Amino acid sequence: MAGRASIPTNNSALIAIIADEDTVTGFLMAGVGNVDLRKKTNYLLVDNKTTVKQIEDAFKEFTTREDIAVVLISQYIANMIRFLVDSYNKPVPAILEIPSKDHPYDPAHDSVLSRVKYLFSAESVASDRR
Amino acid sequence: MAAATEELQFLGSIPGPEGAGEVDGAVAEEGRPRGGDNEEILRFMDSVDGYLLLMDSLSSALRQGWLDLASARHSMGPSRVSSTLFDHKEQSAATKLQVVDRDGLKPSEPKPHFALSKWSLQEECHSTYDVSERAFTEPKMRHRGSVTTPENGNYESANTTASSTGADASNHVQRARSKALSVFGGLVSPKLRTAQLSFETALDLIVELANSRSNMLASFSQLKE
Repeated sequence: MAGRASIPTNNSALIAIIADEDTVTGFLMAGVGNVDLRKKTNYLLVDNKTTVKQIEDAFKEFTTREDIAVVLISQYIANMIRFLVDSYNKPVPAILEIPSKDHPYDPAHDSVLSRVKYLFSAESVASDRR
Repeated sequence: MAAATEELQFLGSIPGPEGAGEVDGAVAEEGRPRGGDNEEILRFMDSVDGYLLLMDSLSSALRQGWLDLASARHSMGPSRVSSTLFDHKEQSAATKLQVVDRDGLKPSEPKPHFALSKWSLQEECHSTYDVSERAFTEPKMRHRGSVTTPENGNYESANTTASSTGADASNHVQRARSKALSVFGGLVSPKLRTAQLSFETALDLIVELANSRSNMLASFSQLKE
């Protein structure tokens, strides 16, 4: 199968989290927290002191680590780095935008749904007719 | 619904009224079978619908978790339920994922499948296949009240071993859960335990969401072609 990007089988991949304190705390209670020898964690707790650069760096790090299979990111945080999230198109790690306490989930902003919604948009129909 | 059907007709995927007499699987002018396109479209729409339903369920699970966490914080005090308590010592995640590459609809399309492994439990712990093999090697437990005969003696011991293996796994999970909560102190509010369960439920839904996303993107790629 020439040109096929294969996904290596991984039996112990991590879930990374970029979210607010309560969401990170909750998922750490569920056992997903990991700290390696170099004190690098698989989560970033975002508060009002966290800069956009820090969020970008964490996103880039989590999406390039081979031991991470899913990256959870609160949708309101994803909106801060929307260009970066929308330009990501690898199958693994999977990026999932989740709601937060103060910001409910909005399907209109979800990067995955934005990618596929053009099938239902008027513009695609109009361009096919031309 | 009627508008969506009309839109799909313009895209050429669904035959209009004039094509109603065609047999399913008849080749369209572009050389692709129409029946196959319809199936793919249905699969895609099902996956989008499933994705949205799962996201709604996830929102509910997370809301319950946040509420329980806030209740625990209220009863235990803000300083006892805080992210600052999590230490940065080296530790391995107890809950992980297994990722397997399932062949996509096309050879060039990878389609990962995710499975959750909670609290370091392996799938084989729950398998009866291992249990039946171990039944002949492990000492048989006496089960009060059971009548063992030569025919079903092994079956009884397999069942007993299965229940003891299940009990072991359950004890392991309880110990792992308690260990995860130990950062908050020895005695924790019951609300903290229910919050933990809510977030565990959320993790199950997240894995389903990841698989649904994978299916959706695979169907979308197929349709784009």
